[in-house]
Amino acid sequence: MKQRYFSTFQLILLALFSALVIVAKIALRTPLQLSGHSGIFWMAIIIVGARVVPKLGASSIIGVTSGILASFLGLGDFGALNTFLSYAMVGVGSDLMLWLLRSDTENLVVAIIVGIFGHLGKFLTKWLFGVITGAPIGFVALGLLQAFLSYVIFGALGGLLGWLTLKALKRAGFFAYMAEKR
Amino acid sequence: MDQKKRILIAGIILVVILGIVLGVDFLQRQQATKEAPADMPPGSIPIFVDGGFVASFVPDDLSQLPAASFVDAEEGKTQDGWLLRDVLLLYLGEDNLQDETQVTVSSSSREKSRSLSWAEIDQQENMVMFDLSGRGTLKLVSTLPGFDIRDSWIQDVDKIEITSP
Repeated sequence: MKQRYFSTFQLILLALFSALVIVAKIALRTPLQLSGHSGIFWMAIIIVGARVVPKLGASSIIGVTSGILASFLGLGDFGALNTFLSYAMVGVGSDLMLWLLRSDTENLVVAIIVGIFGHLGKFLTKWLFGVITGAPIGFVALGLLQAFLSYVIFGALGGLLGWLTLKALKRAGFFAYMAEKR
Repeated sequence: MDQKKRILIAGIILVVILGIVLGVDFLQRQQATKEAPADMPPGSIPIFVDGGFVASFVPDDLSQLPAASFVDAEEGKTQDGWLLRDVLLLYLGEDNLQDETQVTVSSSSREKSRSLSWAEIDQQENMVMFDLSGRGTLKLVSTLPGFDIRDSWIQDVDKIEITSP
């Protein structure tokens, strides 16, 4: 019998990470009101998810599933399609960087870069939607640059948080336990 | 290829993406400057009174407006920006605005608009205000019953129209 790329157990884990992304978006609050600040939480979750299920495409599955959940929950300001694609592209962006950097999320620099590019996936989706739909140009001239940098910084912080979480999980023996289960 | 080279490639991709985003934004601003009248800087929001253009809400005037904010009940997110009331008072003065005056804020790209009376806008507790969206455009938000959820808010605002009673 042909072996499936993701096992049922891995898919369940990825679905749980997707739910965590949504819970983080709804429940976790930071006093920061800069655009993209929630990336601290969800990029950390995606980086942990990509290490727990170490296969290319894992982040995309988390992104797409959380996108479906977010769209049905009515999250976001720009409609369901925009919300779905924004979340999905977070996963796709992360996967592209994981592929380029050989999924080495135990390396702090790699985790930060994956966090940045995953989060930029969301920014680029929103920006492209604006360009395609003919949205007016930014009211504040440097608003776009500010938003870009904000997404980069919060994505990087998310990568750092994800890396710290992975370190803590490793120290606690989580990955050894998972390997035994396999 | 070693990991250092891969990280360098990632850095280059990041710079290229930034360049594309800023380049497209620059071209859009150039285009908007060409198309807009001289008294309407790109990105500004034109204000029309009874069909006639009277002023343009420009970023340079933001320093004259007091900041306002509220936490929306739907997502618990802080919406912060400038009250529509203060914007209209800055450009039109109180004499041009009566309780029954209708103010319509619209977005052509999103094909959405909302008409409110000056009485509703003038009540500060209604928090009818502009919030700066992630991509730098203005979003009309409020705590007014019926106009307090994200679906009803006007994103990418590009016009303000005032109709006298």
